[in-house]
Amino acid sequence: MVHSLGLLAAAVVNVGVPIGKGLVYGLAAIGPGIGIGFLVGKSVEAMARQPEAAGMVRTTMFLGIAFTEALALIGFVLAFIVK
Amino acid sequence: MHLLTILAAGENPILPAANELIFGTIAFVIVIVGLFKFAFPSLGAMLAERTAKIQGEMEKAETTRLEADKVLAEYRQNLAGARDESNRIIEEARRTADQLRKDLQAKAEQEAQSTVARAQEEIRAERDRVFQELRTQVGEIAVELAGRVVGSSLDKGTHERLIDEYIDEVASGGNGKG
Amino acid sequence: MLAALSGRAGFPAPGIDILKTPCLWGTNGALCVNRVVIYMLLAAIVTVCLFVLAFRRPSLVPRGLQNVMEAIVEFVRNGIAIEVIGPEGLAFVPLLSAIFVFVLVGNLFEVIPGIQFPVNSRTAIPVILAVLVWFVFNIVGVKKQGGLGYIKSVLFPPGVPWPIYILVTPIEFVSTFVLRPFTLFVRLSANMIAGHLILTIFFVGTGYLLGRALTIPFAVPSFALAVGLTGFEILVSVLQAYIFTILTAVYIGGAIHVEH
Repeated sequence: MVHSLGLLAAAVVNVGVPIGKGLVYGLAAIGPGIGIGFLVGKSVEAMARQPEAAGMVRTTMFLGIAFTEALALIGFVLAFIVK
Repeated sequence: MHLLTILAAGENPILPAANELIFGTIAFVIVIVGLFKFAFPSLGAMLAERTAKIQGEMEKAETTRLEADKVLAEYRQNLAGARDESNRIIEEARRTADQLRKDLQAKAEQEAQSTVARAQEEIRAERDRVFQELRTQVGEIAVELAGRVVGSSLDKGTHERLIDEYIDEVASGGNGKG
Repeated sequence: MLAALSGRAGFPAPGIDILKTPCLWGTNGALCVNRVVIYMLLAAIVTVCLFVLAFRRPSLVPRGLQNVMEAIVEFVRNGIAIEVIGPEGLAFVPLLSAIFVFVLVGNLFEVIPGIQFPVNSRTAIPVILAVLVWFVFNIVGVKKQGGLGYIKSVLFPPGVPWPIYILVTPIEFVSTFVLRPFTLFVRLSANMIAGHLILTIFFVGTGYLLGRALTIPFAVPSFALAVGLTGFEILVSVLQAYIFTILTAVYIGGAIHVEH
């Protein structure tokens, strides 16, 4: 009985940790995913509306992506930190 | 201390390992020193030189253009001057020719008139002379005739002969002298 | 059943451990020389060589390597320094182009045959660069606005009613002085780690699938995907170098221009 409980605990750890890591990263990626999609869509709209401002919009778009992406990357890092 | 041991072990992928930090710093110093010592000075010098060269070329081109403009304007001016000159010369020639023509015409007319006048003068003079001569001859003849009439008795025959002789004489003398 | 779950079987998926490399020379300590260290030094030498070979005796009419490097420097100058910082950014063009090329070379090691290890997937160089950038933008800010003025413009953004400062000031402090360098190096490293892992998984997976007759047909799409992802990783390498440089420029620009 004790032996099988120990096995169960080991199984929970072995299966649960990867699932937890996956969940951490997956949940962290939702927001930035939506955000980047929204951001790029709006940028394309802006560039189509004013092609002469495309350079400026593109720079700002990359900046926005970089800032938004940081959230997902913190989740990615967190997945490694979870032991 | 705990952080240092983690760093040294290089366990966590997010924390840099100590050896990598040290060698990474060395690598970065290599990059910075190498670039700022060997690459950027010559790059800056080259860019400055290029700027100067392009600016110089542009200035030279500008000067050349201005010079060309000036030469063109000068040429145009010269051309216009030459046209004016030629017009002037032609005009002058025409005027000279006109003048010459008029002069010649006037001179010819004058000459003709003078010739006519001289001819008339001569004719008149000749006539006057002839008249003069004729008058003297007539006088002489009249005197001679009178003398003869007076000197010899005049019969009808003689008279007629005398008159005939006189007329003949007058006619031949007038013809011969005139 | 439980026993099977408690152990691992089947395809040994390459994990984060592939980034750890054994010491080749020296002791296991601060002076351990492993593959990463060699690649770091190699990246530095390649960067220096690129610049020095291109610009040591520069000709007025660029040719060959000089043309390429001039295009890069021009891109950093016009596309990053002037566009983000403005005319004051010209002074930072050398630093920005050094960072750009160094990061780019380190990233591209990911796909160069025979190396295939992104130097920046180890956090050492990104951390060093982020610390340098942290010092640069703070020093520039203090120089431009004075110590107090800089702190004031960062922590107390104007145009905010004063009670909001209770909320804004700690957020600004953390975001400017802690999160900026942190996200700067994590963004670069995490992208490179992820790219390296994905490439490794698909290439190792191709080899694993080739090992059994039954799975050989599946090796073909795996390999095709790996090749496609290699191209994608080249794009990511360039993009991450660009983003790292442009964020550096944004931080410097933010320190130069007082926000209104």
